[in-house]
Parts: sequence; structure tokens; C-alpha cells
Amino acid sequence: MRTISFLYLFALYAYTQAVGYRDGYPTLADRMGFARTFANNKAVRLFYGEPHDLLSVSGYVAWRVGGTLAIAAAVFGLLAAVRALRTEEDAGRQELVLAGVVSRHTAYLSSLAAIGIGTVLLWAGESAGFLAGGLPLGGAMYLSLATASIVPVSAGAGALASQLAPTRRMALELGGALVGLWLLLRVIADTAGGVGWLRWGTPLGWAELLRPFAGAQPLVLVLPAITSVALLAIAGRIGARRDIGTGVLREHDSAAPRLRLLSSPAAQALRSERASLLVWLGSVGAFACVLGAVAKSSSTAGISKSLNRELGKLGTGSITTPSGYLGFTFIFFVLVVSLFACAQVGAARHEEAEQRLETLLSTPVARRRWLGGRLAIAAAGAVAISLTAGLAAWVGAVSGGAEVSLAKLLEAGANCLPVALLFLALAALAYAIVPRASGAIAYGLLAVAFLWDLVGSLLGAPRWLVRLTPFEHIGLVPAQPFRAGDAAAMLAIALAAALAATWIFTRRDLTGA
Amino acid sequence: MSALELKATASQPQPRPPGDRPRPAIRAEGLSKRYGSTLALDALELAVGGGEVYGYLGPNGSGKTTTIRLLLGLHRPSAGRARVFGHDAWREPVAAHRHLAYVAGEPFLWPALTSAETFEFLARLHGGVDVAYRELLVERFQLEPDKKVRALSKGNRQKVQLIAALATRAELLLLDEPTSGLDPLMEVAFRDCVIEAKERGQTVFLSSHILSEVEALCDRVGILREGRLVDEGTLQQLRHLAAQTVEVTFAGGAPRLPKLAGVEVQSAGPNALRFEVSGSIGPLIAALAEHPVATLTSREPSLEEIFIHHYDGSGDRGRR
Repeated sequence: MRTISFLYLFALYAYTQAVGYRDGYPTLADRMGFARTFANNKAVRLFYGEPHDLLSVSGYVAWRVGGTLAIAAAVFGLLAAVRALRTEEDAGRQELVLAGVVSRHTAYLSSLAAIGIGTVLLWAGESAGFLAGGLPLGGAMYLSLATASIVPVSAGAGALASQLAPTRRMALELGGALVGLWLLLRVIADTAGGVGWLRWGTPLGWAELLRPFAGAQPLVLVLPAITSVALLAIAGRIGARRDIGTGVLREHDSAAPRLRLLSSPAAQALRSERASLLVWLGSVGAFACVLGAVAKSSSTAGISKSLNRELGKLGTGSITTPSGYLGFTFIFFVLVVSLFACAQVGAARHEEAEQRLETLLSTPVARRRWLGGRLAIAAAGAVAISLTAGLAAWVGAVSGGAEVSLAKLLEAGANCLPVALLFLALAALAYAIVPRASGAIAYGLLAVAFLWDLVGSLLGAPRWLVRLTPFEHIGLVPAQPFRAGDAAAMLAIALAAALAATWIFTRRDLTGA
Repeated sequence: MSALELKATASQPQPRPPGDRPRPAIRAEGLSKRYGSTLALDALELAVGGGEVYGYLGPNGSGKTTTIRLLLGLHRPSAGRARVFGHDAWREPVAAHRHLAYVAGEPFLWPALTSAETFEFLARLHGGVDVAYRELLVERFQLEPDKKVRALSKGNRQKVQLIAALATRAELLLLDEPTSGLDPLMEVAFRDCVIEAKERGQTVFLSSHILSEVEALCDRVGILREGRLVDEGTLQQLRHLAAQTVEVTFAGGAPRLPKLAGVEVQSAGPNALRFEVSGSIGPLIAALAEHPVATLTSREPSLEEIFIHHYDGSGDRGRR
């Protein structure tokens, strides 16, 4: 199911970018201009990585698609590995499998085989998308291979995290932190001057170093191959030695009672989400700081009006000043804070799926109070993360020598909230109506809204259709003014959706996994 | 509720004299629940009086847990209604839950909390517990309160749930197969607790398929089959309706007896017969009087036999 969603994403994204560039920048002159001003901008590199050749459709696609899908591939490998190697065990199902005639070795290898099949499917899907977009067969397959080569490495990281961590959640957090680090390394290598060698330190950089359509370096493939085999072998070795149901990192089984944060359902929810909230705050803070630090080096070269219009088509504003660059990067934080909001609703759903909610709601606690408390914590967490992003970006920017005011960057942080709260409420609504599918719906909606913002205008879709995504309604603070009207509208919709979610939730059966 | 108030409640447990409650603890009227095409509970009529220990019997999938989820307002009835101390279970769950404590068949607790922390959390949610009694229970059930729930075995997690529920001294204890996972010693401890609760005037709704437990504890028993209550009454009433077994050995070979209404005969050895008698035993005694009876034993049906009687297909006496 999840593999299929990723498959669609890969194929569609590959196709639309190829077609979009050909239509949007038909002549060599257009592309020269694009390459000069747009592609060398640090903010753009943040998402897409380092461009090698932008004068051909293939080169553009290699940069634009390879860079983003590389991140998606890393996430896919991590999720697939943790699901196969820790979630099953966490839920106790692995015990049943191993109690049968299946040995650990066989079980491990068959999990890896499943991930391998998923990888090949993604490779095929992305290649098909490129072919449909008019790229040559060999190049399409090589470019897709560069993306797909990341899957085994991140699956190896996920496998190792699954052996280290005793729970699914901790495995995902460990693996996620590692993938985040890879991304951070790539971002620094691509945006800061003189540290291009850092690319060698991250699998996401290896995909760039393969240089599809720009003097291919297939030998680099040795790196992901060796790394993934090593990671998977180590994980397999640990897995064969440890007791089932445990991890290498064992938490203490006993503790003196700590009675803080147990006074209400919301307090206890905060207690259980505390660690994960700190991880979010820490990683967002680190990222924002790095992005702030490179703000100064944004190109200040003037760009022509016509090109500016073309840039508008790609869903960006004026991005060649430090504040323009920061305004653009904060779209990334809008996405991150929205992800956090969806994850919080996911945690609430997990509580219900594991039936602990039955225990809780058999006490004199109203459902409205429970859900309201969870949403309030999620909203407060979103506020904290947004403002942290603003603050950290300011610290980074000031230390990098850029002149931006703290107030402006805190405003940029707060500017993440209308969209994030909207997605929080929509996720809650999905949770109330279809609890079992709520995670898929919430994340799916968010992914579609974000990608639609990236490709919608490029595809030449009607204006009203493009404006359907909330990401179109964000003012790029600090470069652009805060759009109070849009924000108020989104918050009003969020409030209505949250109230509807609460109303519906008090009227349905509790639903187990 | 502050910790101070908690202590205040704890120091003065309020025993309730039995029989002074006008409203029934549980009342179900035409209570039904449908999941898709499955009718999990079919027009249940149930009344459990205050201070009563009610045994709710049925095999897996007969609708016991569904009933409890409806009584707790966790699921919404498809038809009919359930009341707990007069409060509608679905519409006023919070008011109803102030009167009850619940033990689920599976211990669904928070893995990262220790037992002591779980107790504190559930006590805060319930709004006060009898702390002294809780400490007694921790000792009685031999629980290590500093262990995290994730490190406990299923039986020990079940104990955590049980202790938390019993310590509330709630007027109604809703217990869904509470002893699953407990060892025999702990089962004895559990029975003592139920007897204590009954002596204090608490109502106990005990869903179970452990017949000896129900037989030992319950005043009244309801038997559930495929979502319908097929029999209900005191153990004596149920016994009366079911067959009793009479075994007779004869001096010499077993004789041929005339056919008697309500009596089924089986051979039980070369010179012994077993009779399953429903209704009066008189005609059988009269018929036996003419033969050389060496020994005669009669025994009332166990709950197990009543139970099996209801499930072998012939036991449904058309009652809903």
C-alpha cells in the first residue's frame, strides 16, 4: 500500500518536472537565464541539491527530480526497514513467525527481499515517469538508479536502528535523525562555499556525485553498495544474537515513581510526547540555524522582470536577497511543522489503536476533554517549534552577518502556524471520521498540497486550481508581508474542522487497530 | 483533584450498607449492537441490583465484551439503551463512570509508566482512591510497584489493572475476564477481593468463562449465546431447570426399566446405569424400588454441565 503511494509519487513527479521544464523554458536563452539566477540560489539548492547542467531538459530533471526524490527515497527505505524489522516485533507478531518453522536468518532475509522488491519498483516507476516525459532510456534508468541507490542505504540505517531501539517509535526517531543528518550535510555542501567535499559524507550527496546526465560517474555506486551491505550485515548479526522483543539500547525497567504530569489526560499526553517534542525542537532549531547562517551569501544580482515572472511559475518569489531567501526557506518549516501536527494526531490515534484509550475513557473523563487536550498540546508544540525555527534562523543569520531583525524572523516562524494548524485540524477530522485510515489521509493530504504547490503552476493548471493548496496562501515573510486575510481564513477553517472533529469523535465507537 | 483531597478520601473509605440503593446498578433495555452485518448483541434485557455479584457467562465471541463496551459508552448502541445507576451509558458517560471501575480482559496500560505511576494517574482520573487499601492490595497481589509496565508479564499487568480498579472502591466493578493471565494463587486473592467488595455492598459485574470462579462468587448468572441472553437466574434456579445425574449400581446385572418421561438411561458398566433426569426424580425412585439396588448416588449439575447444556444446541428453550 505504502509502496504503491511512493511509486505514484515517483512516477508522477518525474514526469511532470520533465514536461514542465520543456514547456516553461523552451529556448537555450531561457535556460541560460534560469541557470544563472535561479538555480545557483542557495534556497533552491536546499530542496533540490547541486545542479550540474541546466541547459538540457535531462540535466534540469536530474537536478530537480533527483534532489527531491532522493529525500523521498531515503524516507521510504527507513520506513520500510523499521516496519519489517521492528514494528512486527513491537506488536508481538514476529514471535509467532519465529515460533513456526522460520529461522531468524530466513525471516531477516525475506524482510530484506521485500524491501528489495520495493526498491526495484520505485526504480521502475521513476524511470517510467522520465520516459513518459521524453528522456532517453539509458539516462532515465541511470538517473532513477541514482535515486534508488539511496533506498538500501537508508534501509540499512533503519535495520540498524530497529536492532538498537526496543520500540518502533524510537527506531523511527533514531533512523529519522540519521536521515536528517544526511540531508543537513547535503544542504551545507550545496549551499555553503568551499565545503563541497562534505557531499562524500552523505548518501544523499552520493546520488549527486553520480552526476546523471552530466558526465556520469557510475563508480560512485560502490559507496552505497558497500555501505548498505555493511549496515545490513551488522544489523543482521545483532538481530541473530539478541533476545526477541528487546533492543540493544535497553531502557531501565524499574524507576522510582515520578508523579509529575499525571494529573490529567493532557498532562500525561504531554509527558509521553515530551521526548519526541524535544527531538523536533532540536532538529528544527539546528536546521534553521544552518539555513540562517548561509543567508548572507545569497546572490544579490538583479534579475529581469520576465525571469522573475518565470520564477513565480515555479512557486517562488524574489529569492535573491537574504530576506527573500529566508522567506523561501520558511516554506520548508511550514511543511515540517505541519508534519509535526499530523504526527501528533497519529500519536492520539495510536493511543486508541492500542486500546489504552478504553482504559482512559472508562474513567470519568469526557471524550471531548481528551481530544481537546491532545489537540491543545499539538497546537502548543507547533507554536514552540515555529518560534524556535524563527529564533534559530535569526541566531544563524546574525552570526553569518546578515541584517535581519529578530521580530521579523519570529514573525516568519509564526507564519508557519496557520497552515500547520489547518493540517492539525484536518488530520483530527480524518481521525474522527475514519480512524483506521487517518494517518494515510493526513500525510497524503499534506504531501499532495505541498507537491501541488511545487508543480501545479508549472503544469499550467488554472489559477483557482493551483490556489486550492494552502501553501499558495502563505506570504513569504520576511520578504513579503504577512497575509492576514489568508491566515484568518485558514484559522477559521481549522477551528471549524477541529470542532467538527470533536463533535464526530464523541459520536463514534472507539476503534482498535 | 489535588493530592491533599486524595488523601482525605483515602483516610475515610465510605462503606455502603447493602441493599440501600433504590436504582439498579445496571439496566439494559433492548440493548443491541450491530457491527456491519454481524449482530453482536441482540435486544439484551438485563437488570443487576445494587450489591449483587452478577456472573456473565459465555464463550468467546458471544457478546460479553460488546456488552461491557456498551455499558461503558465506548461503543454506541444500535438500538435500546443501557443505564448505570440511572445514567445513560452513551449520553452521560462521565456521570456513569463516577460510579464504576473497569478491568479490561487485556491489560491496556501505558508501557513507559511504572505501576506506581499508573496507579497515581488512574487515581487522578477517577478522582480519589483508597490509598491504604491499594497498598494492601499491592502486597496481597505481590506486585513490584517500581517496575515499568512494559517490563511486566501479562499476568502482572492484569494485576496492575485489578488493583487500580479495586482501590477506587467504586460502587460498581465491571470486570471483563479479570483473571485471564493470573496464576491460581492470585486467582484466590482475586476471589477474596470480590467477596470483600460484596461485603462492602459494591456491585460486581463479572464477565467470565471460568465457570468455577462464577460458581464460587456469583449470586446470579446470565448465560450469553451468540449475542442473546439464553438463560438467567440464581445457580439454584438454573440447576433446577437442568438435568441432574443419578448413578445406580445393582446387585447382579442391570435390569431393564420401563420408559419414563423425562429420564434418559445410559449404561455405566456391567451392573450399573446412569440416569439423566429433568424434572421430578420420584417416578425413577418408584421404578427402582422393585430392583436390587446396591448403591445410589445423585448429584446436582455443575455450572459446567448447565453451560454445556446450553451450547449443545438443545438448550435454547426459546427464551430471548
